[in-house]
Amino acid sequence: MAQTLDAPTPPATPPTHEAVDHGPRPRSKDGNVRTPKWLYAVMTVGLFFVVLPFVWMVISSFKPEAEVMSIPPTWWPETITTSNYSTLFSKLDFPTYFANSAIVAGAVALGNVIFCSMLGYALAKLDFPGKKVVFGLVLGTLMVPGVVTFIPLFVLTTNIGLANSLPGMILPFLAGPFGVFLMRQYVLTIPDELIQAARVDGAGELRIFFSVVLPLCGPAVATLGVLTFLTSWNNFLWPLVIATSEDKFTLPVALALYSVGQNATKYGLLLAGSVVVVLPVLAVFLVLQRRIMQGIAMTGIK
Amino acid sequence: MRSTHRRTKGLAGIAAVAATSLVLTACGRTDSGAGGEAQSDEVSGGEATGTIEVWAMGTEGEVLQDFSAAFEEANPEATVEVTAVPWESAHDKLAGAIASGETPDVSLIGTTWMGEFAEAGGLMPTPENLVDEADFFPGAWQSTEVGGTSYGVPWYVETRVLYYRSDLAKQAGWDEAPKTWDELKTFAQDMESKAGAEYGLNLQPGQTGSWQTMLPFAWSNGATLTDEAGEEYTIDSPEMAEALDYYTSYFDEGLSPTRLLDPGELESGFAKGDYAAFISGPWHAGLVEDAGVKPDQYEVATIPSPDGEQGSSFVGGGDLAVFNDSDNADSAWKYVQWLSEAETQTAFYEEVGDLPAVQSAWDTGELAEDEQLQVFGTQLETAVSPPAVPTWEQVAGSIDSITEQASKTDLASQEAVAEMQSKAAAIGTGL
Amino acid sequence: MSTQTTTTPAQPGAPAPTQKRARSRHVDPTRRQQAVAAWVLALPFMALFLVFTAGPVLASLGMSFTDMRSTDVRTPFGVNFVGIENYQELLADPLFRKVTLNTLLYLLLGVPLTMGVALAAAVGLNSIQRFKGFFRVSFYLPVVTSIVAVSVVWKFLLRENGGLVNTVLGWVGISGPGWLDSTTLALPTLVVMAVWRNFGTLMVIFLAALQTVPRELLEAAETDGASGWARFRLITLPILRPTMLFGAVITSIGYLQFFEEAFVMTKGGPLDATRSITFFTFDQWGYGNYGYASAAAYLLFLAIVLLTWVQFRLLREKD
Repeated sequence: MAQTLDAPTPPATPPTHEAVDHGPRPRSKDGNVRTPKWLYAVMTVGLFFVVLPFVWMVISSFKPEAEVMSIPPTWWPETITTSNYSTLFSKLDFPTYFANSAIVAGAVALGNVIFCSMLGYALAKLDFPGKKVVFGLVLGTLMVPGVVTFIPLFVLTTNIGLANSLPGMILPFLAGPFGVFLMRQYVLTIPDELIQAARVDGAGELRIFFSVVLPLCGPAVATLGVLTFLTSWNNFLWPLVIATSEDKFTLPVALALYSVGQNATKYGLLLAGSVVVVLPVLAVFLVLQRRIMQGIAMTGIK
Repeated sequence: MRSTHRRTKGLAGIAAVAATSLVLTACGRTDSGAGGEAQSDEVSGGEATGTIEVWAMGTEGEVLQDFSAAFEEANPEATVEVTAVPWESAHDKLAGAIASGETPDVSLIGTTWMGEFAEAGGLMPTPENLVDEADFFPGAWQSTEVGGTSYGVPWYVETRVLYYRSDLAKQAGWDEAPKTWDELKTFAQDMESKAGAEYGLNLQPGQTGSWQTMLPFAWSNGATLTDEAGEEYTIDSPEMAEALDYYTSYFDEGLSPTRLLDPGELESGFAKGDYAAFISGPWHAGLVEDAGVKPDQYEVATIPSPDGEQGSSFVGGGDLAVFNDSDNADSAWKYVQWLSEAETQTAFYEEVGDLPAVQSAWDTGELAEDEQLQVFGTQLETAVSPPAVPTWEQVAGSIDSITEQASKTDLASQEAVAEMQSKAAAIGTGL
Repeated sequence: MSTQTTTTPAQPGAPAPTQKRARSRHVDPTRRQQAVAAWVLALPFMALFLVFTAGPVLASLGMSFTDMRSTDVRTPFGVNFVGIENYQELLADPLFRKVTLNTLLYLLLGVPLTMGVALAAAVGLNSIQRFKGFFRVSFYLPVVTSIVAVSVVWKFLLRENGGLVNTVLGWVGISGPGWLDSTTLALPTLVVMAVWRNFGTLMVIFLAALQTVPRELLEAAETDGASGWARFRLITLPILRPTMLFGAVITSIGYLQFFEEAFVMTKGGPLDATRSITFFTFDQWGYGNYGYASAAAYLLFLAIVLLTWVQFRLLREKD
């Protein structure tokens, strides 16, 4: 923490950094808008409170179990240990769980991107009978609380032979209403003339979608991809009930299994596991954050 | 918006029919309704064969696969496949499995879930003569009986006893554990006044699971939850009100905290002497020792009763059940039979420390010699399990919530038990 | 809701000369082609959607009019049709009334607070030049962290004795209360935690919208002597309004379904002070009262639809 507090001005960030940051419309930065010093102070204080719980989680994952639970709690570990992590990696068949999680989350993200953008385009730019019904239906389910559909969905999934399979974890989430809404809003911002011009050139509607519209959807696709990946990656209850054998477990399921003992949770393991689960997501977000910002900016959520 | 809605309804109808017909074709109709069902036919002689799929929770789930090697050795044609399931989501997983028919052959089932899953038609009645009822602790066997039919076999048990800091008790002038309610009250007061404890006896002030601490006082006072036939609730009784009154007096007199403790707080507080005593199950021995309590600093004792006789505690644990959808039921029952043999039970105790549900397993080894364990063994003889009805979790939820009101507000005990009764009656037994 | 969104005017960005051509799509053969293409594009999504989303949703709607319990799952047609009995019972259930009130409190406290914090963070981020990416990712961190791990940390912070919050309060001579053990403080405390966990998403959305505010306009206003606050109120806020509407809608939907924080922190207590409608539904589901639970969920659904509609009416009319 101390480091972030008193290190506000190392020349770490190259000056070009900002121009990229502003996305599609680079602006001249002529120093006209000054950043007051106090703003940094306020932001840093805010930052302290926001990341505090997270920092404690990371630090405490290096404490032995007894110290995690000790009262009064310690801030800095009295004994630094990596035993939580080594237990985690030795007890868990990590590569398998990681691969399962990645496959499921990747497939869900990919499917949402493809299917939702197809329908999103149709809703935004094409006229067809039943359009309003489709859109109303999709938006309606966006508001249904999730608890309710659990059992019917489970009965359905197992009855079509998808119990204990990765497709059983993927298929129910391939077509999410949120993605349709997002993609439709984004496609609306693509000028009609572009599509019209392609039509005049004799391109079919499907070709227009794949070779004209989709390539223009980069930022929205990135946003939708990351958000659905994130949701799927953290999903717990569904993979848990669908996966009945260990080779089908995802990371959160495996972690819950090993950190929650019979009558007492092993908090050290849980914290270390949470750090491990959050790292890939954080990495994805770090890499793609600028595109996501663009995507949201241009989705015309206005 | 309006026209959209009307048309959606048409679609709704189609989808609903589609969805329900899927359910129908897959599951078919069965005569649900536990109770009055005959026990299953006796299992065949000979060895078990084929694959036996087993679900188990917690530590049991982790060790059972290796532990079953002995069974596989004795039955070379059979393979046991164990899947570990976390306790916290086991209920949903079992419910879903029963709903869809995608069950394993055998599963460990929390004793309080037996009613629900049996009534759902998921569990197979225990075969005739598979085991002898008299071999088990009576309270544990009760948990398998739904509407007069047994749907499984008790595997391991746990019961709640009084944990107290014996060194502090000596300071306060107590060489022995309190036996009667009056003694327990004085004991808690002395722990605060003479031994410097912040709280004399930690009891749970309502909220999830508090019935497991509160009801032992009621049972020890002669109260019952249902009538003999298990059809009507009998919660509204003077015995119940008296017990609740006694229980809540600990909060009123500052002998127990009224807030929910954080994880680990009770154990470390017990180590420091802030909480002088509490009521809990066998797992707490390990937890308090991990928190730094030396084995000679604390002791366990059976639950006190009003008149000094041994109190009736709560018996929980796990039952083993075989599913109606099992395609290898015969071998599955043989596996269950093997797990409930006295020697297997002793061996399993040595492996994970689960207390055996079979009484004769307590006659040898550590279980017979260890004083602390003997307290649990003694307590089990009189321990009671709640009615195995499908609605028990909901009734328990109401008892928890009303106990909380009685502990934290000025709700009188008499009114509280009357309310518990009316809630429970409204919920029904679900059988 | 659907009409509102579908009638969003098409792109204003289209330059005038092409306007005429754009209208030509009303010629019949093109329309047919379009309709066919549209359905081809819609088909994969709709197929998956009908099977895995609409189907279960409607199955549970059907359930809400029956007395179905968990013990009926293998014989779903053995249940009785009870009409709106579940709904009537709910409205008469004192616990349901209490959780409805709690949910409204979550909504009234949580939405303005989340939006305020998100807006402040976005404006702050938009005004700084250095470490922008660092601050942005840090503020977003709570969104991606697992709730279970976070609950351990928050319980530690809020502990009555030895908790960090009360320790800090102790320095200035205030003896802090047991935040989660008080029937009056527990709910607001959970709201604070929810704000912490959720403002990141909204912040990113606001930040994106802030970047569409024309800098020239702000600079011109500054030259004319408008104060910082005046510029924010008169230029930035009006441009942000549509985004704020969107933010209000999604945040409200989120708070109406408030559940996880209460589940991991207080289990709905003390004395049901933090139990929400979704929590109630979850409990009923756990008790196996599928019909009753579904009815509760659909009442919540109605509330969400109603609130969304009202928000669109209120915030749109001013345009």
